[in-house]
Amino acid sequence: MRRLGSASQLVAPVALLALVGLAGSFTSRSVQFQFRFALVMATIVIALYVFVRNSGVVSFGHVSFVAVGAFAAGLTTVPEALKLSLSPDLFPIIASAEVGNAMSLGLAAAVGGLFAFLVGVALMRLSGLAAGIATFAVLVITNNVLRNWEAIGPGARTLSLVPETTSFMQGTVGVIAVAILAFLYQRSRWGRVLRASSEDPYAAQGSGVNIYRQRLVAFTLSGALAGFAGGLFVHLLGSITTQQVYLDLAFLTLAMLVIGGVGSLWGAVVGALLVSGVNSLLLSAEDGIGLGFVDLDVPTGTRLVTLGAVMALIMLFRPTGITGGREIRLPGLR
Amino acid sequence: MDALQTIIDAIALGSVYALVAMGIGLVFGVMRLVNFAHGELITFGAYALVLTNHLPLVVGIVVCFATVIGLSLAMEVAYRPLRTSPPTTMLVTTFAVSFLLQAVALLAFGARGQNANVLEKLNTAVSIGDLRVRWVTLVSIAVGAVLLSGTALILRRTDIGLQMRAAAMDFRTAQLLGVRATTVIRFAFVLAGVLAACATVLLVVSRPLVTPGYGFQLVIPALVGVVVGGLDRLTSATLGGFAVGFAASVLGDVLPADGRVFLDTALFLLVIVVLLVRPGGLFTRSRAAWERV
Amino acid sequence: MADAMLEIRGLEIRYAGVPAVRGISFEVGRGEVVGLVGPNGAGKSSTLLAIMGMVEPHAGDVLVDGRSLVGSSTEEIVRGGVSLVPEGRRIFPELTVDENLRLGLQGRRSRDGAEEDVEQAAALFPVVREARDRPAGVLSGGQQQQLAIARSLVAQPSVLLLDEPSLGLAPKVVEDVFAALAEIRGRGVTILLVEQRAQFAVGFADRTHVLANGQLRLTLTPADAGDTDKMAAAYFGH
Repeated sequence: MRRLGSASQLVAPVALLALVGLAGSFTSRSVQFQFRFALVMATIVIALYVFVRNSGVVSFGHVSFVAVGAFAAGLTTVPEALKLSLSPDLFPIIASAEVGNAMSLGLAAAVGGLFAFLVGVALMRLSGLAAGIATFAVLVITNNVLRNWEAIGPGARTLSLVPETTSFMQGTVGVIAVAILAFLYQRSRWGRVLRASSEDPYAAQGSGVNIYRQRLVAFTLSGALAGFAGGLFVHLLGSITTQQVYLDLAFLTLAMLVIGGVGSLWGAVVGALLVSGVNSLLLSAEDGIGLGFVDLDVPTGTRLVTLGAVMALIMLFRPTGITGGREIRLPGLR
Repeated sequence: MDALQTIIDAIALGSVYALVAMGIGLVFGVMRLVNFAHGELITFGAYALVLTNHLPLVVGIVVCFATVIGLSLAMEVAYRPLRTSPPTTMLVTTFAVSFLLQAVALLAFGARGQNANVLEKLNTAVSIGDLRVRWVTLVSIAVGAVLLSGTALILRRTDIGLQMRAAAMDFRTAQLLGVRATTVIRFAFVLAGVLAACATVLLVVSRPLVTPGYGFQLVIPALVGVVVGGLDRLTSATLGGFAVGFAASVLGDVLPADGRVFLDTALFLLVIVVLLVRPGGLFTRSRAAWERV
Repeated sequence: MADAMLEIRGLEIRYAGVPAVRGISFEVGRGEVVGLVGPNGAGKSSTLLAIMGMVEPHAGDVLVDGRSLVGSSTEEIVRGGVSLVPEGRRIFPELTVDENLRLGLQGRRSRDGAEEDVEQAAALFPVVREARDRPAGVLSGGQQQQLAIARSLVAQPSVLLLDEPSLGLAPKVVEDVFAALAEIRGRGVTILLVEQRAQFAVGFADRTHVLANGQLRLTLTPADAGDTDKMAAAYFGH
């Protein structure tokens, strides 16, 4: 536990992220998108890590916070006329809202955090299997509501014309900021207390620790970070649909965290970047690319199969992930 | 008479869901594993029926059963490293396997649905008094009843059934008595496979369009039912599955079109409420899995 | 000793690095009864679990009839003729008495002779027949203990391990249980008896080892049962 608080824990991930951000800006236009995508993925994964690592509880529902953040940022940066043409029944306050880029990101974080707080108030008493199922329920509910309640958003339609402001600078600074916040939290007293409680709940409760409250703090923070990531996401894509922030993304980000290793910030970052890289590579391979000396052309769908297979194999044979140490494995029985 | 019609249809759907729920419950009982990938058994069974479309019905059904049971056994082998794992590792792993299998189905069969025209005659209706009931509805109820009671008989009257019940109650002590862990677990997976295969055939009759997400869409509500009913006991898990199928069918008939879209929300809110309100009552034994703080 | 039915050699058990059993060695001869006593947490139950293959020893060996058990699965060990009556009985309260007994049959090497063994167990422990269709949970502590022993007996053990059979039972009931154990011993079954209430073991066993803090300290014989100093040592593990 002391390991997680030492400054060295932050240096490596930040350096890697900065490197990726820098290197990416020198690549060709089409590849640049992949790099920025990887940085945004890393932001989501770090947000997820903040909760999972410290509380020992797996959340399947974090993409809900990404979703509300993305829609909040998206809806407040497109013209009113467009919004009303997509959903005539939109609440006036949402329809008329129009803010600048920075504000939209802040709003995304706030909405994500608030939503997480409300969900957390209800769910943070649960552990283990129950928490997994309950957070999955939140994911389904959020998607269902966003998709069908046309007073709060475009419903099933695509929200487009969102300003694409997630540049390399913004993406890199954003993910590094999130990493720093994650680090500061895990090193803080609250973070340490929560981690200790997750390893020994009885001792913790005996010492007067309110596990529920500590979890709520972690969940809210992680929700805010995920919301922020959602803001970056929508400003990266320039558009958003509910399907883009649902099961596929939930699986992808969980896979990234697990494959990289849930035990450390380094694991989260490595997992996100590595899987994004392989993901992008296979995506291109599905279209057929030349890698210099070898031509790669795989059938569409190989990417998902590979990703699923790697995640399943890691879970079965090396649950601590690629970077994993022996002690810190996917949390259990909590 | 409309009401009676609705109820009969609901019982039929409930029976199919009950078969799926029982399969999930059997595996959970012996391994404490919630198999998220249970739905993919149905998906691949359905695709088996698609591929054997042009062959005689018996061949199709045999291939379907073989595929489902074979895949179930493969899962048993794949999940072996998980036997001593904490519940959340199991959950994430089965989630990954589910995703993997869906991706394989997508790769192999494409995203567009394919038709498995099986037993189409069962879609014709028969008149009973004032009602017009489809044959498949009656068959579903009959098959469901037979299989559920058959499984219950196996559990109560046979040696292997006794071992399974004991393993579900207290795995360690069962082991100490010499109960063969692998045999018991494997049998549970086979039985779950048989139940899933039957459910698949019945489902495909009413919903012949098979997509890679076919089984996943079904297993999520079934899982809801199992959790709401009570994961710890086979009867409550099965009843929960039945209840969800029944409710889904009734609501589907009764709700106006715009209300229906929020069905998922209603179902999953129910799950959350149950998890919060009755973790001790519904899930009495595995306190470790359902710890609250 | 060439005639040793059960042999423990240098057994070391650790839980997450913390030693529970620090290298113990003893033997139980064919048809003998050996007791293992000591204070709570001394490592007695761990030793039994290691014999049964439920716990992997850090070092050392366990041999039954000359064959090493370490590394074998519990299922194989049970079929090899070793049976444990666990601490707290651990019968299945929701299964009937008869079902509980039938479960014990799963540990047999072969079905031959199962009926006779069940009859013999019923003769020793009448509750098995009297309450056969009732849920085992309604039985008294003493009856449950009888059921647990019967259940292990029908698995055809050559070595019977008992973890605190007197736990929670009144002295009169314990007497009955030990009378039954005497009969079992009379049939040539080798017995290793773990007890926290040392007086029961010391008076009954051919010899009793005192285990304290993971190590064997002392060996007592039935003659020592009246010696208060030695008995105190057995209780407090000096």
